[in-house]
Amino acid sequence: MIQSVRPMKKRKIKGDGAWGYAFIAVALVVFAVFTAYPVASAFIISFQEYKPLGSTFIGFDNYTNTFSDALFWKSVVNTIVYTVLTVPVALFLSFAVAILILPLKKWLQTTFKAVYYLPAVASGVALSVVWLWIFDPMSSGIFNKLIGFFGISNQNWLGSSATAMFSLVFMSWLSSHGTSIIIYLAALLGIDGSYYEAAELDGASFLQKMWYIVIPCLKPTTLFLLVTGVIGSFQVFQNAYLMTGGGPDNATTMVGLLIFNNAFKYFEFGKAAAQSLILAVIIAGIAMVQFKFLGNDVEY
Amino acid sequence: MSTKKHVFASILAITMALTTMTACGNSSNNGGTNQGNNSKPTNTTNTTNTTNTTTTAAKDTITALLPPVSGNFQDNFAQMEKEFNEQYPNLTLKIEPASWEDMTQKLDTQVNAGSPPDIAFIGSEGISKYVQQGMLMDITDTVTPEMLQDYDDAPIKYMKNGDGLYGFPGYMEVHALGGNKAFLEEAGIDWKNVQKNGWTYEEFREAIKKGVVKDGNNTSRYGFVFATAGVASKDYLGILIKSAGMPAAFDKDLKFAYTSQKYLGVLKAVRELIDDGSMPKELSSVDAGKRWNMFLTGQTMITGKGLATFENSANKNNEKIKANDGSAVQGSIEAEYIVLPVPSFLGEQPVSSTVVDGYVTFRGKKEPTAEHKENVVKAAYFLASGNVAATTNNDLFAAHITKSGRKAAESMTVNRNPDNVAAVEVLLSHAAPARPDIPVELGAKAIKLQDEVIIPKLQALLANEITPEAMFDAVKAAAIKTFGEDGIVKD
Repeated sequence: MIQSVRPMKKRKIKGDGAWGYAFIAVALVVFAVFTAYPVASAFIISFQEYKPLGSTFIGFDNYTNTFSDALFWKSVVNTIVYTVLTVPVALFLSFAVAILILPLKKWLQTTFKAVYYLPAVASGVALSVVWLWIFDPMSSGIFNKLIGFFGISNQNWLGSSATAMFSLVFMSWLSSHGTSIIIYLAALLGIDGSYYEAAELDGASFLQKMWYIVIPCLKPTTLFLLVTGVIGSFQVFQNAYLMTGGGPDNATTMVGLLIFNNAFKYFEFGKAAAQSLILAVIIAGIAMVQFKFLGNDVEY
Repeated sequence: MSTKKHVFASILAITMALTTMTACGNSSNNGGTNQGNNSKPTNTTNTTNTTNTTTTAAKDTITALLPPVSGNFQDNFAQMEKEFNEQYPNLTLKIEPASWEDMTQKLDTQVNAGSPPDIAFIGSEGISKYVQQGMLMDITDTVTPEMLQDYDDAPIKYMKNGDGLYGFPGYMEVHALGGNKAFLEEAGIDWKNVQKNGWTYEEFREAIKKGVVKDGNNTSRYGFVFATAGVASKDYLGILIKSAGMPAAFDKDLKFAYTSQKYLGVLKAVRELIDDGSMPKELSSVDAGKRWNMFLTGQTMITGKGLATFENSANKNNEKIKANDGSAVQGSIEAEYIVLPVPSFLGEQPVSSTVVDGYVTFRGKKEPTAEHKENVVKAAYFLASGNVAATTNNDLFAAHITKSGRKAAESMTVNRNPDNVAAVEVLLSHAAPARPDIPVELGAKAIKLQDEVIIPKLQALLANEITPEAMFDAVKAAAIKTFGEDGIVKD
């Protein structure tokens, strides 16, 4: 059988198509240089003993060392505990605040949105200094003063294994919900008013309207915030670094902090890269599970 | 019209992208990187000369990354650059300032990118880390005998690793304790005798018990508070164990020393001082700033670690209190700072922990030229000797470690307690010797063991979550895993 060979047509990119490629080229170049290239480099470095003057290929050593490192698994457990304690509460608080803001007048809504968003604009280091003052272990600390009124003695909030993780979690509960609140509020405003009117005609209570209208309608938003919240929480670094340094006895050492230490304290970039990629796989796995169980009936 | 808009938007977008990338790139020849590593000087002013004279006449720029070593240090950068240029007209010293907080991160980023500054001011304990990276420049073959003879023997050894010399020391300070004179005398402590003859752990333990003042059930003043949190986390134990027969992490046979029973003895002492009520039970959360505040506000009789510069800081605060200056530390009282030695343990001889910081010489990815190396040595020596060293060390109340520095300091006045000066001299006389014989790989393993096991376990011990025995067992198990059964001290 003879196949007829037709000369390939030169596809010319003309008009708006060309301009489209030109525009995405900019984003593509930025993505390639600042995201794809570092990720590819990290993958290569994870098989090396990195040295500025010449790295050595060491196979899977960085991965096997990581899997046999008790501190790595401890940090994974710490990160999971932190995530489980912070993300659901953060979602609930954001949702509750958004619901409370929703009925207010436009200018009041804007004011509250700005107030709640303010911590996201403030420097994390500055916020940590304030929290260090709040968690001061001596009697001059705000929390110790507070519990002193109830006859409870000073607590070593950040210095004791019993309270250090809780202190970081508590800090997370009371800060940085601004973005989630704004997203929830936008989603709430997007729910068609006719749903509420129909429910009211049927005599639905506030809780029934929440359960049968608001929560289902917000499911895509909740899923988005849950996935991004879990990703952010797994990458948590700043709080542990600034507040506890991972202590006491590694009770607050998160994976992000461990990776930072390996890379910038011990210059073990290969091990740090391997741990970063393992963390990425863990995060991707959790995100897939979330989509599998929560994203079935979500339409975008 | 539409096409014009498209073209204009495209140009804007591409410009933005290029600007972003350019900002992240290596900006210029003067971007704080090793110029000399680019193999040739930037220009020559005397190219007709023979090779020998070309070396001295060639123009070159030396970059230095320097933190605020003393209060006025960074204010003098312009003057330093000018004086250096006057001394060596063909050379330019370009100083980049960095805060103490940023210093390590800035330097590490530059080192790992393969383009560090020629000179950086760091602690001598950091030398092994950069030697392991291959990024330090050994100046043994370039430094002149006159330069070496200018330095005291002990501090210059701290700048060595193996056979290599990697810069010049700026100062050698001793880690001591600091006492409030009035409180020491109130507690009946003969501090002058302690300054001269030292004290044992048992004497120290009894002394600090006397310094405790109770207000009902609360302690209004502790006998002793040492910073153990944050950047100071490794200091407390590291300083104590030197006077317990373990002046370094490895003994002379290069066996890991902290598996000795003497280490357990010190751990028990650490716990005892808290259980006595002489130190706060919240000690594990007390950082350097907090304990200094506690000293100035009269909440502790003795504090640690103490450096000579703290006397200067206390004096300045005293002056502010006298002048009713609102910038004095809130709630502070006048406190005359007294230098005190760290106690000795288990009948061992006292050994002072020292900190030697200095101007360390780096190289880039490319081998530096001999000319550039020579110029870097000139710049490092200029910064670490003579007038610059004298001014900086006087500002810090630190002892001078160069003949040229001492000479330059003769014309400078320092308002310092002579008893403290004498006490520091005593402490320096039994300073822990430098250990350039410890291989970098072994040193790196010890640092990792310290960070991942010793410090976390110490925090737990201070918080009364584990016993001294449990900590000792954890350290020993980790040491065996790291160095092997034959690589540790057994007694």
